[in-house]
Amino acid sequence: MGMSQQADTNDSGLPGLLFEIPGGEGRRQLLLLAFRVVLAAVFIYAALQKAGKPLLFADEIGMYGILGLGFLLYLIAIVLPWIEMFCGLALLTGIFMRGAALILASMNLVFIVVISYRTVGIMAAEGIPLRQIYFDCGCGFGPTYAWKKLIEDMILLVFSGTVFFSPSYRFIAGRRKG
Amino acid sequence: MTADMKVKRAIAQAAALVLLGTVAGLVHNGFSANGINPFRKLDGVPVYDNGEKPLGKTDPEDHDGICYVSFEEFREIVDAGYPVLDSRTSDEYESGHVPGAMLCDYFEMGRHFEMVLPRLSPEEMIGIYCSGPRCDDSEMLARELYNMGYTRLCVFRGGMAEWEEAGLTLEHGPEKAWE
Repeated sequence: MGMSQQADTNDSGLPGLLFEIPGGEGRRQLLLLAFRVVLAAVFIYAALQKAGKPLLFADEIGMYGILGLGFLLYLIAIVLPWIEMFCGLALLTGIFMRGAALILASMNLVFIVVISYRTVGIMAAEGIPLRQIYFDCGCGFGPTYAWKKLIEDMILLVFSGTVFFSPSYRFIAGRRKG
Repeated sequence: MTADMKVKRAIAQAAALVLLGTVAGLVHNGFSANGINPFRKLDGVPVYDNGEKPLGKTDPEDHDGICYVSFEEFREIVDAGYPVLDSRTSDEYESGHVPGAMLCDYFEMGRHFEMVLPRLSPEEMIGIYCSGPRCDDSEMLARELYNMGYTRLCVFRGGMAEWEEAGLTLEHGPEKAWE
């Protein structure tokens, strides 16, 4: 415990957690583990819904009107679910965890931007208030309210950001101490 | 380890995960029945609109490309016994489809092509529909088929919505095991 605390404050140099958690290192690591499990569950489930269905996923991405039908759209539809899958597995096992957290934080940031873009577009085109905007974001969980999805993605962004900035980790496969 | 080194290591790990995911995705796509060629081009297919804006070359029986057909023309295609493809999902298909239509879910076309393609002839007219005017799966399927050499494709944009609205007969149940 003492060595871990030392690592937290002096060795890492990273900003540490995005917020302070009372109760010391043990509780902090348990919370980190909970964040990892939630992120892994969400992204592995989403990946399983989309992997092997590139046309469907490409169609859903195409709905955002950002990428036209073409190589980049199809490539994203083919590989993105697998990247999500490996990131989920990395968070579960603790192997390449910081890299996985970096990818998921970046992805969630992109998701927030593109969902906001599409939401604002629908609001402007159809004159529908935000609370009524309902669509399939292509996230693997079916149609939902845009505001709800944005809140979910913001929570996942905080989780992945917290894992990325964590100065030290425990609960890593094949390692007794974090 | 310094913060700088941790960030550099995280970037290297992220790059490795992206590479791993890319390789796994491409390999799976290569072997999957629903795999797609990411380089394929679906534009450049001649499209003739027969339903709303005739563009001159509008005879469904004499066109090379995709021809949007009206409800009456689509009925003629069905009645004449030309092959008709339902590009919706299997659940939607089972809940009611145009009599004689073959299930060819656009999003799982690779799997359905195994059963459907042997029943199609490149020279023959093929009717295609999906849910209704707001869905473009029928046109997307037509574009894929055009690139495979099927050149007389008749897309009925009214789809099931217009067919049901007209009160015409529906066939229910799963796809038949065609001989």
